[in-house]
Amino acid sequence: MAAPSFDAIVVGSGITGGWAAKELCERGLKTLVLEAGRPIDPARDYVEHVPPWEMKFRGLGDRKALERDHFIQRHCYACNEYSGKFFVNDRENPYTFDPDKPFHWIRGRQVGGRSIMWGRQVYRWSDLDFEANARDGFGVDWPIRYAEIAPWYDHVERFIGVSGERLGLPQLPDGQFLPPMALNCAEQVVKEGIAKRFAGERVLTIGRVAILTVPHGGRAACHYCGPCERGCITRSYFNSIGVTLPVAQATGRLTLRPYSVVHSVIFDEQRSRAAGVRVIDAQTKEALEFRARVVFLCASTLESTRILLNSRTARFPTGLANSSGQLGKNLMDHTMGGGANGTIPGLEDRTVHGNRPNGIYVPRFRNVKTAHPDFLRGYGFQGGAGRPGWGRVASQPGFGVELKRALRSPGPWGFSFYGFGECLPRPTNYVELDAEKVDAWGVPVLRIHCQWSDNEHKLLHDMSVTAAEMLEAAGAKDIKPFVDDNAPGLTIHEMGTARMGRDPKTSVLNAHNQCHDVKNLFLTDGACMASTANQNPSITYMALTARAAAYAVEAMKRREL
Amino acid sequence: MNRRELLGALCATIALPVFAGLPADGLWATGRRVHARARGRGRAFQVLDPHQSETVATIAEMIIPATDTPGARAAEVHRFIDLLLAEWAADDERAKFLQGLADIDARARGAFGTDFLTATAAQRVTLLTQLDGEAQKSDPTQPAAQPPFFQQLKWVAVFGYCTSEVGANAELHYQTIPGSYDACTDLGSWRAAPGDY
Repeated sequence: MAAPSFDAIVVGSGITGGWAAKELCERGLKTLVLEAGRPIDPARDYVEHVPPWEMKFRGLGDRKALERDHFIQRHCYACNEYSGKFFVNDRENPYTFDPDKPFHWIRGRQVGGRSIMWGRQVYRWSDLDFEANARDGFGVDWPIRYAEIAPWYDHVERFIGVSGERLGLPQLPDGQFLPPMALNCAEQVVKEGIAKRFAGERVLTIGRVAILTVPHGGRAACHYCGPCERGCITRSYFNSIGVTLPVAQATGRLTLRPYSVVHSVIFDEQRSRAAGVRVIDAQTKEALEFRARVVFLCASTLESTRILLNSRTARFPTGLANSSGQLGKNLMDHTMGGGANGTIPGLEDRTVHGNRPNGIYVPRFRNVKTAHPDFLRGYGFQGGAGRPGWGRVASQPGFGVELKRALRSPGPWGFSFYGFGECLPRPTNYVELDAEKVDAWGVPVLRIHCQWSDNEHKLLHDMSVTAAEMLEAAGAKDIKPFVDDNAPGLTIHEMGTARMGRDPKTSVLNAHNQCHDVKNLFLTDGACMASTANQNPSITYMALTARAAAYAVEAMKRREL
Repeated sequence: MNRRELLGALCATIALPVFAGLPADGLWATGRRVHARARGRGRAFQVLDPHQSETVATIAEMIIPATDTPGARAAEVHRFIDLLLAEWAADDERAKFLQGLADIDARARGAFGTDFLTATAAQRVTLLTQLDGEAQKSDPTQPAAQPPFFQQLKWVAVFGYCTSEVGANAELHYQTIPGSYDACTDLGSWRAAPGDY
């Protein structure tokens, strides 16, 4: 009995799966997208305009349900009473780690994946990043340089819509930007203070963000309601449900199958090709097979690697396409949480109108022009300014009319810098299949081994120092430097474990995200990353995915695949 | 597998929602209708007995009284507190909260020879002032097992009021869709939004 056949199978429907689907369908391939989770209906599931009094616990969250079902996911700020339904149930989706080396794996299984509740910050990489491994010897050299990915950044940005300010900085290339959102009054003060003290070296700008400031591609501009992670009925931020998947569907070549847990890739030993995938229907637990000429793994960093590890064959006893032995190795995540906060004096008669779903950005300034004596690579800052509202009133002394009156005036302007730093690739940070545990669908789970190294700790400390310096330069008061102790994983920028590289002996994927060992098998999510840079990674995943899809289709036309 | 079987295997396939053509406000209204649900009103109390619930309502109203806008009682803060005690609080937290309530009556009886609810308005203010003073003296930098009872009650009264339909609309300024962003504008007659912690 022949299984259903497609030109292409895409595993995952999130940020990269949506892009693979769009590009492959537009280029003529009959494409099956397999999504492990349920379908999402924006009219029913999005909750960005639901007021707090319509939520049972007013947004505090169903604490007992969170403790029972979201004991890992709840570490993420967005896993709350509104958006918690977009995060996996931790009881159904277990994984293991050494108790003294926690890894917080934050996951979304639904059509749209984590693109529904992602942070939307998008920053291009530069050759400072693509050359980093070659320069200091950690990891293997990237097989591409900026010039090769730049047109694909253009392609992605033009389509998704990115608002931001052009800066002309070599370490953070400008893109195809829609008009930037504005800095608020206090952010403007800090920007000027930094410019005066650190002219040319440190720069504060508005975040570059996949949110429309003007109508774009048939989608409405942002209406500044605020909580994007709850969904967006006007499609003003980028997610795959509202932007890439509809375009794929419009070609008539898309089949989207939710509730499809991919177990493994079917490998044809004789032809040395991926023949398709094995699927477990999430609702019926029925085992199914789907076949195609080309397979794209876009299931998210650790899920794609898990599928390959679980696709063991006679020729690949440690996991499909793992002749290099690198599959599962070099797990990374951005180290986040060094920074400082302070009070910006004055501006007492000023406020903002609207909820800007974006903050400030300070591009990397360490190890850009001169080498820092204490650490390799660098970090950038996110953050912003605001005035606290009624929340501070509860801790004030007194009660009655006077306390109630305090609800009507905001607190002073506060400013906060929060750093995101690069993580070095190290083979000692790795994942493997757990020999004993399976998930709710019987698929072996991952055992994760991951720890920050000394370099990441030094970056965090330096963030707290330089953030305080910038606040001081801006005339801030009550400056408090801090270093948060965040477990790896919680930045939700997990990368690596199936790295790209030039040499099949030391990498899993080539310059086109194609498995060195299995030519019709592509992997384009975060698992492909050979290093992390310090910029939020999603736009680089999108650009690599579009580029790989174009390459795959051309190779198929040349009958190479 | 034939075509019928193929369709069967793909039966879970869904069409993507087509909503690109609808205007934003129409979509918003659709979303609101779907989500509109009555919460809290009319639900029977699960934890607080009538005396306890009236004590909580009275104290909450003393913390956030009716002025030119409604107060905590009109916002039914005591109902929200009952819900938290029933479905949110851990067992020991609930027990301590109820003990805190009992303690207020005990103090009132010791000082005035009567329960809190039957004490005079002036006596109640005296007692709450005393409790607030004690709560303010507790050192927030010390990792105490739990904040003082009155601090907890004040927090939940303010939270419950500001996130209630009454509080958010009458006292605060709730606006679902601001529609634009002004990065630096006059404070004017500023009011907090429910999301402005």
